[in-house]
Amino acid sequence: MHEPPHWRDRPQNERLLARECRTCGYVSFPEHRRICKRCQDEVEWDEVRLQERGTVRSYVVQNRLPDEFETPLPLAVLDMPQETDGEPARVYGLFTETEPDDIEIGMVADADLRQLFDINGLPVHSFKFKLPRGER
Amino acid sequence: MRDVAVIGAGMIEFGELYEQSTDDMAEAAFLNALDDVDYGISPDEIDAGWLGTSNIAGDANSGLGLAHPTGQFEIPIMRVENACATGSSAFRAAVEAVRAGSADVALVLGVEKMHDSAEGLIANAALDQVWRGRGVTMPAFFGMRATRHMHEFGTTREQIAEVSVKNHENGSKYPYAHYQFTCDVEDVVQSPQVTYPLQLYDCCPVTDGAAATIIASEDVADNYTDDPIWAAGSGLSTDSLLRGNDSALVGFEATTQAANQAYDQANIGPEDIDVAEVHDCFTITELITYEDLGFCEKGEGGQFVEEGTVHLDGEKPVNPSGGLLAKGHPIGATGVAQINEIYEQLRGEAGAVQVGNDPQYGLQHNIGIGRNATGSVSCVNVLSRER
Repeated sequence: MHEPPHWRDRPQNERLLARECRTCGYVSFPEHRRICKRCQDEVEWDEVRLQERGTVRSYVVQNRLPDEFETPLPLAVLDMPQETDGEPARVYGLFTETEPDDIEIGMVADADLRQLFDINGLPVHSFKFKLPRGER
Repeated sequence: MRDVAVIGAGMIEFGELYEQSTDDMAEAAFLNALDDVDYGISPDEIDAGWLGTSNIAGDANSGLGLAHPTGQFEIPIMRVENACATGSSAFRAAVEAVRAGSADVALVLGVEKMHDSAEGLIANAALDQVWRGRGVTMPAFFGMRATRHMHEFGTTREQIAEVSVKNHENGSKYPYAHYQFTCDVEDVVQSPQVTYPLQLYDCCPVTDGAAATIIASEDVADNYTDDPIWAAGSGLSTDSLLRGNDSALVGFEATTQAANQAYDQANIGPEDIDVAEVHDCFTITELITYEDLGFCEKGEGGQFVEEGTVHLDGEKPVNPSGGLLAKGHPIGATGVAQINEIYEQLRGEAGAVQVGNDPQYGLQHNIGIGRNATGSVSCVNVLSRER
């Protein structure tokens, strides 16, 4: 059962909250622990919010998935900048309302809160990406 | 520290083995390994065992998964799991123990039952991972690197397909391979699309299999063979895409780290490797691995395979057995089988897929993923003809 991880990840999934390492500037998302993945040390963290618009660094289009998913389903790894200065967070994101042919490396995409799927009737909300309004 | 040698190797034909259980496969691989020891070996001469399995079928969640099918009770046995690097990690652990003196003769057994239902047991595991990993599947994880590699270095779809063509050509000559057909670039790029830019022939099959390797310390190796193959170096490392390292978008950093550890231990460089069995779960994985292992410069993997350098008759043959793409990828068995294939190559016993460059050093490599497909683990082992 996956309910507990879902509840633990709610601030990241639903509010795009990340943590920035005060020592090296590494942005931890969706994780938020005491040890920094770059400093490899126990550090101080500042809570930071991510922008809802990210940049595609690479992508794929999934065509063969379990029946629960609509295909073709684009999926990308994106950099999501902070609302203020600092390094972006690197995230995986499913796309929605987007033609596979419209996706390319370097494009911007907007995060939108959606129901991702449900687990035993429990809806799980998180962000999906789509082309910015006006470009669709 | 003592030197450690491979003195025997056995495996079974990989495939969809519905009629065989985990224990059936493990037993057969073990018996084949015993038979392979030049001067013979009695099972009671084995001091310790390492079992490599991801235990997908649920029959081997402890050392009993090795003891039951082989009769190796009353000795220390550890089960090792390290994602797709499970088999190579089990071999590494066994070598380190024998090197340190805690055993003289050790058995490494890799086994995996991937098929026991129409969809394959792996399908159930994959469904679970899809939920937790926000829709990131195995082909997607690797396909991301393909898209980025093409974007950054101009690698072509056809160059990526060349890996599949080569490995199926080799696999068609290798008696233990799951698939024995050949194909050309056109076949690969026309095969059904799984996850753009990867098509069906870019993906390894779902395969059952087992392999067993027997190793011995320098103190006793001569009792078993005049032609031992020595474990010269080993490396193991982990990395994660979420560390934000840009080079991880087009490579697997853990492989470079593991390879450097192994080269240092063996006191050689990538240029000294004469034959390699590397992890080609997808075509792009092998192409990137040429670069990660230092066989060619970063970004030149496409050209490297296109020029034929890695072909059976090339300067640096890679995956003469057909690799995971043709031979299959029964997780725990994969790395152990690769060790066995390098052992055969260095002894000159690889038959129709024997490389012709009188190999002195052989390299075995696995990469594994985890943590919702964001992390990677890599294990590299180097074997040597000379001690």
